[in-house]
Amino acid sequence: MIYYTDYYKPQPKTSLVRELLETGAEGVKPDPLYIYRSDEPTLGSVPVGIVAYLPSVLPILFRDLPQSSRLSSPEIAFPTPQRGSESVVLDIEALMGELARKVRLENPQGIREYLLRFPDLLDVIPRAVNTAKRHFPEAQIVMGVYQDPEIVDCYLVLYIRLRHYDDSVINRLQKAESEYLDQLVNKAGWIQLTTDFREPGKEDAL
Amino acid sequence: MGRRYANPPIVEAICEFILTAETRWDLTVPGLLYERLKQSFPQKEQRMVQEVELTQGPEGLQQQIRTSERLLFVTEHRNLLVQVGPRLLVVNALKPYPHWEGFKPRIEMVWKSLQETIDVQGLERIGLRYINRIELSAQSRELNEYFEFYPFVGPGLPRHMTSFLVGVVFSYANDRDRCRVQLTPITHSETEGKIAFILDLDYFLARPRGVAVVDVLDWIEEAHSRVEEAFEGCITDKLRVMFEEVSG
Repeated sequence: MIYYTDYYKPQPKTSLVRELLETGAEGVKPDPLYIYRSDEPTLGSVPVGIVAYLPSVLPILFRDLPQSSRLSSPEIAFPTPQRGSESVVLDIEALMGELARKVRLENPQGIREYLLRFPDLLDVIPRAVNTAKRHFPEAQIVMGVYQDPEIVDCYLVLYIRLRHYDDSVINRLQKAESEYLDQLVNKAGWIQLTTDFREPGKEDAL
Repeated sequence: MGRRYANPPIVEAICEFILTAETRWDLTVPGLLYERLKQSFPQKEQRMVQEVELTQGPEGLQQQIRTSERLLFVTEHRNLLVQVGPRLLVVNALKPYPHWEGFKPRIEMVWKSLQETIDVQGLERIGLRYINRIELSAQSRELNEYFEFYPFVGPGLPRHMTSFLVGVVFSYANDRDRCRVQLTPITHSETEGKIAFILDLDYFLARPRGVAVVDVLDWIEEAHSRVEEAFEGCITDKLRVMFEEVSG
């Protein structure tokens, strides 16, 4: 587990990992060691799937250890790493983890369920959140699920909460929204950027 | 047939096919496939997926970022979907899991539709994956009461863990197939008074072209049996009670 975390980080030139990764044969296009997808789940900041990449490095890491500390070769002879399966649930969990660091989540279970119904939104949400944060760096951003009380309709909503509201807020909202609106074309789900004119909650780090 | 549960923890079942490079694929394939599947999967959607590929080359670790479009064909009830990308076909079943008797025919239908659309030359990978979300009371600190698969921590280490990832790759069929089993807590579960875990079982063809195209459906049936065994091997009777085992 310790190796798993440590060796994912960029290594200095003197690193044993780097040294050995540079020993590939010239002119041969090797198979990918590992394919990381932007929506892959993470453990802390480490993509879970890189566990598939690690085994090909492990034998190298153990090279200089005393013989008694080494794994036997059958144990370290892992297969060529495979791409992970294309899981919607894990994509959602990865996104939830990322969102929890950036916005306040209201009704996270409701958000999960909405995304399960509309997984086509998964690639839009990071862009919507980043856009909102860029246009409203001073705001608390809250994500929730809006349920229309009059019709059977619900959608995701990003609320901007500010300490002080002025006349420019609506224009700024429209400008921010216009930056990702084109990505919602042909999507079954929807995410709305708006404000409820409330003050930021205490638990959010502004 | 394996055990059945009235309240199974499965949140997603996935069957994935990655075709070999010699299978001809072009931009028209997803549309042609949709024509064959649209009665069962009428809603057509799309999403972009970004991938970073790490390659070990003569000049060290090289990375390549690419974006690919994925088409989604979704059922009316939105609990089953097909994902189509270049030489990639995935069938996902979301909660509530339709049981194997409901899921397998959908896989067969999608696979046969693909074969009617293109000439599949071989399979780089086939995967059958089950993702289980298991919620326990926050007081349930002793993992060994619920799992037969959990991290071992020796007496010299702290007792309190904030997170962990335990994973094992098991070998099957003379190493043609492998099953990756992983258990991780969900650190942002947010269900009050609960802690949640993801138990992820991914049975896959580890040897590219190790299964002939005509034998794919038999392989999937076999994979399902192995995944069931692995799942049962990971849990204790305490969880079976929670999942409400159905007799007969």
